[in-house]
Amino acid sequence: MTEREAAAIPGDIRAQIRRISVILRVPELAIGVFGLAVLLLAGFFLPLPYDPIEPNPSVMMQPPSGSHWFGTDMLGFDVFSRTIASASRDIPLAAIGTIVAMAIGVPLGLLASSKGKSGERIMRALDAFQAFPLLILGIAVVTLMGNRIENVVVAIVLINTPRFMRLVRAEALSLRESRFVEAARAMGASNRRILFRHLLPNVTDISLVQFSLSAARALIVIASLGFLGIGVSPPDPSWGLMLQAGARNISSGQWWLSMFPGLAIVAAVISFNLLADGLQKVFSGRSL
Amino acid sequence: MLRRLLIIPLSMLVVISVAFVLVELMPGDPATSVAGNFASEEVIASIRAELGLDQPFLQRYLSYVGDTARLDLGRSFRSNESVLSEIGRTLPATIELVVMSIGFAMILGIAVGVYGAYHARRKREVVARGFIISFQSVPEFILGLLLIYVVFFVAGLAPAPVGRLSIGSPKPESVTGFLLVDSVLTLNWSQLWDALRHSILPVATLGTVTASAFAKTAHSSVGLAMRSPQVEFARACGLSERTVVGYALVMARTTILTYGAILFGALISGAAILEQIFSWGGIGRWALQAILNLDVPAIQGFVIVFGLLTMLIYLLLDIAVVMLDPRVSYD
Repeated sequence: MTEREAAAIPGDIRAQIRRISVILRVPELAIGVFGLAVLLLAGFFLPLPYDPIEPNPSVMMQPPSGSHWFGTDMLGFDVFSRTIASASRDIPLAAIGTIVAMAIGVPLGLLASSKGKSGERIMRALDAFQAFPLLILGIAVVTLMGNRIENVVVAIVLINTPRFMRLVRAEALSLRESRFVEAARAMGASNRRILFRHLLPNVTDISLVQFSLSAARALIVIASLGFLGIGVSPPDPSWGLMLQAGARNISSGQWWLSMFPGLAIVAAVISFNLLADGLQKVFSGRSL
Repeated sequence: MLRRLLIIPLSMLVVISVAFVLVELMPGDPATSVAGNFASEEVIASIRAELGLDQPFLQRYLSYVGDTARLDLGRSFRSNESVLSEIGRTLPATIELVVMSIGFAMILGIAVGVYGAYHARRKREVVARGFIISFQSVPEFILGLLLIYVVFFVAGLAPAPVGRLSIGSPKPESVTGFLLVDSVLTLNWSQLWDALRHSILPVATLGTVTASAFAKTAHSSVGLAMRSPQVEFARACGLSERTVVGYALVMARTTILTYGAILFGALISGAAILEQIFSWGGIGRWALQAILNLDVPAIQGFVIVFGLLTMLIYLLLDIAVVMLDPRVSYD
């Protein structure tokens, strides 16, 4: 090992530390990552006090107590176990749906930025599409296509893809005016090369921010579907499904059925939203 | 503007096609899925005939477009009533809910957004940011349930979520179909008071969640306007801060308005689930019931009516933007 290489290694580590400390320095990012990590780790690895899919008919409708921290529902399910177990289903589902939406929306957005007039028209149509009650269309699609979890992903894609397209197109349009694209074009780069070699890397930042925002939205979509009993098969733990049971009993005062899963959803959604805010801050700081 | 109007029939055709294609999404034989596995042959055959599944694809499509163009949306499988009349019956309740909520949301949202933008990069901005990020992250129905528990069950300040009027109240006289309007027209003040009391929680819920979206747009667009040379000049002229903020708001108004139109869909979706919780007899609840029952003509009717409404809102938006901002032109 030469002297120069030896000196380079601590430098690398220092860069790593700097990268980690960026996460700590932006509080939104730190809270967001922490929140999601806690929910996911608990969902997958926390030993649960009771089986989340095995009801115990002898303890129906118990308010929160020492043995059932979040109480039990009308079938005797332990609300705490189900709230935690739902995180391992709902959060990955939201992430998968949003990744698919991103994989479709980002290339389409880049393509829509290439031609002037028709791109403009596509975006107008997309605006109108987004103003349509998409959640209801998504609910209809899942119900008609069959009440399965894969179709929940379809609904998320339907709702989130237009957001990626719009955002990426707007960014790509302004990037197209920049010098480096002009230089690439002058050197004879093809349109495809400009799209995927020059524009794509430059929309990664905003796509990641949008991913986080859209995943938050997807969680709400999943909860809404579950709330209506769509896309879940009942004993499976899901926040939306728990809220459905909670809604039936809220007027008679059984608050624990809906408030704990509700808090969990809000915590997960806030984490994704904070993550987006933090990423935005980090990226805008870097580009300055 | 004329070209803008010419697109409408074309977009309408797209909406009708989407409604038509929804049936094709159903796996297997749609008639069997609609009727259920234990239905008799005759029932399945009648549903097949109703959906036109016994005809070839193209013919089915053309006759569907033709029927819809003549405003024949078919009959609901569930109630056997005409879909159009069911929509006519349920739509007014949703319009009243949405109009009240959007009014509430605009006032609250713009106030919070402007407050945040005015105090940009100062401690008070945190209040606006906190409002935006918390209510952006709360689904309508969770806030609704929380409010029912706190305001109705614990505090007893609002009536039970049993619909638009108290249980046992006489059937409202219908003039226009809009309950609040009808109460005023028939001079039925006790009914108006009852209906307003039952509107408090749904409107507060939907309005607050929607307000976060308005606040976000107002925050960023008014913030941009506050840093513009125009505002700097207004301040240099010695205008009062109130007037300066007023000018900034005027600069931002088309952005806020455009965003409001995009929000329409989210608002209807949110209203649908809230209508479910509050037993509000609107079109959202009706559509969700139709979807859960695989009531195909009703689902298609909903898609078409809301496609049309969405287009109408966009048209009004374009007209309003041209009127408010002379720099914009569509020709």
